[in-house]
Amino acid sequence: MLIANEVSGDRATLTLGGRFDFHSHRDFRSAYEKILETGAVREITIHFGEVDYLDSSALGMLLLLREKAEGTGKSVILAGLHGTVKQVLDIANFGKLFSIKA
Amino acid sequence: MSSHSLSILIVDDTPTNAKQLEAVARKLGHHTILAGNGEEAIARFQSEQPDLIFLDIMMPVMDGITAARHIRALPSEKWTPIVFFSALDQMQDIVRGLEAGGDDYIVKPASLHILRAKINSYARMLSLQREARANAEELRNWRMDAEEQSRLGAHVMSRLTDASGLRDPMIRHFNMPAETFSGDLLCAARAPGEVLNVLLADAAGHGLAAALSAMPLTQAFYSMTAKGFPLPSIAEELNRKLKSILPPDRFVAATLAAIDVRNQTVEVWNGGNPDALFLNARGEVAMQWASNHPPLGILPDKLFSGMTETVVFHEPGDLVLCSDGLTEAENPAGGWFSIDGVRDAMSQARGSEARFSSLLQGVMDHLGGHPGRDDISALLVSVPIDRRRQIRFDTPTPSHQGHLAEWRLDLSYGAQELRYIDVVPAVLGFVTQIQALKAHQGALFLIFSELFNNALDHGLLGLDSATKSWIGGFELYMRQRGERLAKLRTGRIDIAFQLHQIDSRAVLDISMTDTGPGFDFEKRLNNPDALGAGNELAYGRGIALVKNLCGQVVYSGNGNKVWVRYVVSDLIVESEEAEVETATQHSDGAGDDTDLVMF
Repeated sequence: MLIANEVSGDRATLTLGGRFDFHSHRDFRSAYEKILETGAVREITIHFGEVDYLDSSALGMLLLLREKAEGTGKSVILAGLHGTVKQVLDIANFGKLFSIKA
Repeated sequence: MSSHSLSILIVDDTPTNAKQLEAVARKLGHHTILAGNGEEAIARFQSEQPDLIFLDIMMPVMDGITAARHIRALPSEKWTPIVFFSALDQMQDIVRGLEAGGDDYIVKPASLHILRAKINSYARMLSLQREARANAEELRNWRMDAEEQSRLGAHVMSRLTDASGLRDPMIRHFNMPAETFSGDLLCAARAPGEVLNVLLADAAGHGLAAALSAMPLTQAFYSMTAKGFPLPSIAEELNRKLKSILPPDRFVAATLAAIDVRNQTVEVWNGGNPDALFLNARGEVAMQWASNHPPLGILPDKLFSGMTETVVFHEPGDLVLCSDGLTEAENPAGGWFSIDGVRDAMSQARGSEARFSSLLQGVMDHLGGHPGRDDISALLVSVPIDRRRQIRFDTPTPSHQGHLAEWRLDLSYGAQELRYIDVVPAVLGFVTQIQALKAHQGALFLIFSELFNNALDHGLLGLDSATKSWIGGFELYMRQRGERLAKLRTGRIDIAFQLHQIDSRAVLDISMTDTGPGFDFEKRLNNPDALGAGNELAYGRGIALVKNLCGQVVYSGNGNKVWVRYVVSDLIVESEEAEVETATQHSDGAGDDTDLVMF
């Protein structure tokens, strides 16, 4: 999985690409841990624009991020949903757990 | 350089050569073993198991080449390098030595520097080899451990999940794990009122961890179903249980369904699974339940919703539940089987058995011989239309013995409690503790739930059961019921049970009084349509059923009081007589201190 990491002011964006599955565990965690440590960040956007596959472990990683972010007073937004990625998140009703941006 | 000390076997018939080598080796901190010829070398090799061998070629008794061949022919678990150390310096000598199993060849005389460097080099190699061997050993032990745990886990898991409920004639199912364990879990059981409850759960991930996450669901599902809890309460309890047990990144997608053939309804709660489908006899999707909730184990209790979707069916068909392992099963080109694939695989087949085989065949063909990446499971319930509306209860053999003691239970529920307590299972839990009533659990559930629902729905909530007979009316009725119950602030329902003896019969009287306005019971009960066998209306069916089971049903007041008498047994035999007449039966009941013993 490819991860680009961008922080500007109180907003951070993680842009993901490729397959987001249980192999992505370490990469994803090390990417968000840096952001969680950045005190100024209030809002973390996960952008799925380039992701072509998402499995249930990836959903678990998002839930873990959400829990940790809430613990440090940050919110998590899911963005760039499309195709099967959107389908998987819809079936899991993640719209009821995260803010979703087009 | 390794600090590990080697044991080096030095084989030479010339003591000065041997001494030179020995001195170098000892100075480097290694231990040495000496041998004067090939035969001795083999013997020392076997007894001492050295790490490294320096081997001369020209020696009496047995030469070095022959000795090397012998040593290499011996079974050995580790690699022991053989370094020929010989005055023979021709190309063919060196080749012969290496071909006989040597790893290196040093021509005599050799400088101390060369010998030291060689020994150090082999020490490094041997240390790497030792490390690799230790790792391999550790890995082997791990694997054996893991296999043993898997074996045990699979055994326990299969016992825990092996539910006789899945052998229900209405059910067909398959569960193909991606690994030894499936993270998909299928359960089915009959609630006391003949309603069939099924559960298809899919824990995130697969393998042991996933199987373990789904495990806590089974017990809660079975015990709550057996007690007759409604589906929303079961969903809430399953969520609560998982939320308290699982870490934040683990969850379980689940579909719960209750199939009520008598009332012709299918009720579904779907959190995170693919759509549940109801295929009619023509293979069309007559109803579809999309996932309306996040999976189980994510939301805290107060945010979780157990809200279900209930649909009335007017034709027979098949209810199909599946995990996303089925819809996301990939063909060799990477294309998903999809929910349309599930529908298409079954739509041409007629009959549940054929549909089930077609679905299984369909996904196998789609996978094209490859195993699934995820656990693949599906559960089919063939749903009949039972026009006879038979009440299938085997009345237990009416033979009791001993004196029947009276038992009485009085309960009163106010609006506050009625809003959140599942009164029917809670009360029946009490009642069926009485041994004489245990075997009547099914019938009592039907009678009591009918009476209670009438008191609550019509008495306190003012719902009109005629609504149910419209198209879409049942759904409207259920929605109204939920809304009004949530707003209920006044009202009370009093319930009384009395088990006693009338002549030679054991009877259970149930009475119920609500504070509602009542209804015109004379008109309703005399309506032949409401009691007729061919009646299509959900309306009025309940009272007919109660009448059928109880024989005596008496309404009083302005219709807000009802009293029924249920015959528990026709004959009570005094124990003195029974001792003579039914000696074997008596011995079965001996030591039981309840007043009423049933066979």
